[in-house]
Amino acid sequence: MANEQIFVGLEIGTTKISVIVAEARDDDQISILGVGETPSRGVRKGEIVDMETVTECVREAILDAEDKTNVEIGNVWVAITGSHLASFNNRGSLALRAERQIEPEDLEAVEVNAKEVAIPTPNTFLHTILQAYHVDGNQNVIDPLKSEGALLEADFHIVHGIKTRIHNTLRCIESLKIGIEDVVLSSLASAQVVLSQDQKNYGALMIDIGGGTTDYLVYIDGAIRHSGVLALGGDHITNDISVGLRLPIARAELLKIEEGSASDPVSSEGGFISLKNDPRFLGCDVDRVSLETIIHLRVKEIFELIRRDIESSGEGMMDLIRGVMITGGCSKLKGIAQVAEEVFDIPVELTRARNVSGATQIFEDPQYSTAIGLTKYARLVTKNIAPESMLDRFTQGLGSLFKKRSR
Amino acid sequence: MSTSPSRRILVGIGNAGVTVLDLLSVEYPGMTGLLAVNNDPDSLNASIVRDKIEVPEGDPGEGFRVIDDEFGRTVEGASAVILCGGLGGETGSFLLPALAIRAKSAGLTTMACVGMPFSFEGKHKRDLAERALEKLQEICDAVVVIGNDQLSGGSPSIAAVGEAFVLSDRTLLAALLALTGMLSTSGPVKITRTDIHHVLGKTGAITHFGFGKAEGSNRLHEALERALKSPLLTLPGKGSALKESSMILLLLRGAKDIYFAEVQAVVGKIEQIAGDNCQIKVGVHADGPLGSALELYLLASSGGTVRKPAKPSESNETGEPNSAISPISPISPVSQIGTKLPQPSRGEEISSGHSEGEKGADELFPVQTKPTSKSGKKAAATSKQMQGTLALDTYQRGRFDKSEPTIVEGEDLDIPTFLRKGIKLNPPTRK
Repeated sequence: MANEQIFVGLEIGTTKISVIVAEARDDDQISILGVGETPSRGVRKGEIVDMETVTECVREAILDAEDKTNVEIGNVWVAITGSHLASFNNRGSLALRAERQIEPEDLEAVEVNAKEVAIPTPNTFLHTILQAYHVDGNQNVIDPLKSEGALLEADFHIVHGIKTRIHNTLRCIESLKIGIEDVVLSSLASAQVVLSQDQKNYGALMIDIGGGTTDYLVYIDGAIRHSGVLALGGDHITNDISVGLRLPIARAELLKIEEGSASDPVSSEGGFISLKNDPRFLGCDVDRVSLETIIHLRVKEIFELIRRDIESSGEGMMDLIRGVMITGGCSKLKGIAQVAEEVFDIPVELTRARNVSGATQIFEDPQYSTAIGLTKYARLVTKNIAPESMLDRFTQGLGSLFKKRSR
Repeated sequence: MSTSPSRRILVGIGNAGVTVLDLLSVEYPGMTGLLAVNNDPDSLNASIVRDKIEVPEGDPGEGFRVIDDEFGRTVEGASAVILCGGLGGETGSFLLPALAIRAKSAGLTTMACVGMPFSFEGKHKRDLAERALEKLQEICDAVVVIGNDQLSGGSPSIAAVGEAFVLSDRTLLAALLALTGMLSTSGPVKITRTDIHHVLGKTGAITHFGFGKAEGSNRLHEALERALKSPLLTLPGKGSALKESSMILLLLRGAKDIYFAEVQAVVGKIEQIAGDNCQIKVGVHADGPLGSALELYLLASSGGTVRKPAKPSESNETGEPNSAISPISPISPVSQIGTKLPQPSRGEEISSGHSEGEKGADELFPVQTKPTSKSGKKAAATSKQMQGTLALDTYQRGRFDKSEPTIVEGEDLDIPTFLRKGIKLNPPTRK
């Protein structure tokens, strides 16, 4: 059965809802069978604000995916984002009574210990991601089960968020009689297909800029060191253009896609962009430098916020990051890589899902990184090997709260 | 005595007023421009307020001479006088209107913060207080009335009498701070004197007042919750009194790092309660050290009749009073109030525990440490310009107007970056 498993990734984004149906092949590769999607309504900044509308959109996207792939969708893996999500690193420790071989129960106990920290009462744990084990002070023990010791310690990256908001997403899907395999932090899903193992080991920052949120994740030495969500994205750029140039939102969006550039307006070609008349809009000429100024300032600000957040979350962490990988729908914005390079001062690459096969036009579009990443994550978790490395071991946080449906 | 322009003087009158000033000096040691006026020398001697005027009792002629000369000289050169005391006691009921007339006749913006007696204090007191209040409302540009009965939740029976008075003094103090803060010219966002007059210049109106103080990351929310819970902000059977108000004055006071977004959030919350027809005037007083607590004050009123708006007094010259009433000689209150200079009726001793604050007492009315050197006229003009800035928010947030704000590092990031950075753009040219 495990040889040809089918996984479905569902991302309820601010701009669109995507459903990726993928098949896991024997060689650990993911092959995409198809994608279902609908424009999203009722989602703001990555969070559901209108349950009924969103549920309807999700239903459409699922039906669309079923039509295209001829697969009946029973269970999905869901990505979650929103500014309510927060993360921190914590070390758990367990003193064994006598020096002995470490048992699997000890690994569980040390994780429980790491989670014994106060998070705000409305919050719940989403992920407890292992970073490294230490036995009797020996740092980074790859497989503690084979070693003996009296003190087991483990570092975890812990992600938590407001329970009710996470439940909103789950309720929406369950009302469609669809089972939920697990809930996965968006950036964690994207990283599975966007970053290679080498990049994770070498030190990488992945930024997924979507419509409503910007999700980011830092890998150092193969383990997640930091993650964050900014409730800022392409929508903000569009809104800025709309406010600054006094254009209707739809016009501003179109202008952003067609003519927008995040590059420093100093090097702008200048001149005017002519917007044509249409029945509901009086045409006008837009100053290109103004347009580029608006976008540049916003994009730069987003990157600067991320940089400051990483710097404040761990001393010297920024120095250990050797490259920035940008993905997400908004990464298609012209000049965005240069702005990132300016801010982070390290090589920047625009990227999309890799190491997957199937319908090319789907995985080559960076806006599907999260949904594709979900299927890859699903594959790695269900196969019971850590995603791409022994250092990553995911334990179910929230998903286990929900009854799973048999596949 | 230094006479710097545009300073404000807080006058504590009678035992209640002097107690409030003592509390003030203890809690805000840097506060200057305080003056205690009483006819009880013991109370005055016990007070830690530096500047005191004793109005002799039993001799109305001498009393008025003291008010006219000593008080007149003290307030000369000030831009505003805020009188504070309890009405109903014979001292306050007489001295408050008398001093208000004197200050007004010097052309000063005159405001008052008064406590009305508890009902258990008797009908005589109540009547006296009401007559004095009527007088005060005629004279002053603004009057904040703290109804002690309302304050104790209408059931003073369950509270110890001492506690009730302490609560009353505390509330008077807060109201005094609110008025002082709103008058003050420092800070980026201001409330004008005209606004204050609009809200508090009505005869027979009920004042609604709430204040809250909190610190920590959730300071704003907690302070607002506390302020909204104030018994003076509820109308029996009607819920929040803010619904009945056409204008609400909001003062935020605290550390330099009061964020724009915080102010916006608070205004949004109040708007929700008060409804769309209510105008909210915001003043921000952000000059405290970082990390200091956030204080939030709300002032509004309901009922009452509007008097002709008094022009904000901006000149230091002594002239005719510009209030709606006809000029009154400083002697006249005696006949109108119908009492002679009496003994203090609230026989509370000023606690000696206040003496520790003495070291904080400042020089005689020195120039305020805050940059208030602008003349009243100029300040009023600037404050009008400043008021406009807040109204732009909704427009600036565009499509995110109704969504939960994205606040990072204290900035509302839904507002376009270029606007927050103040970058000028070329507008599109219409064909």
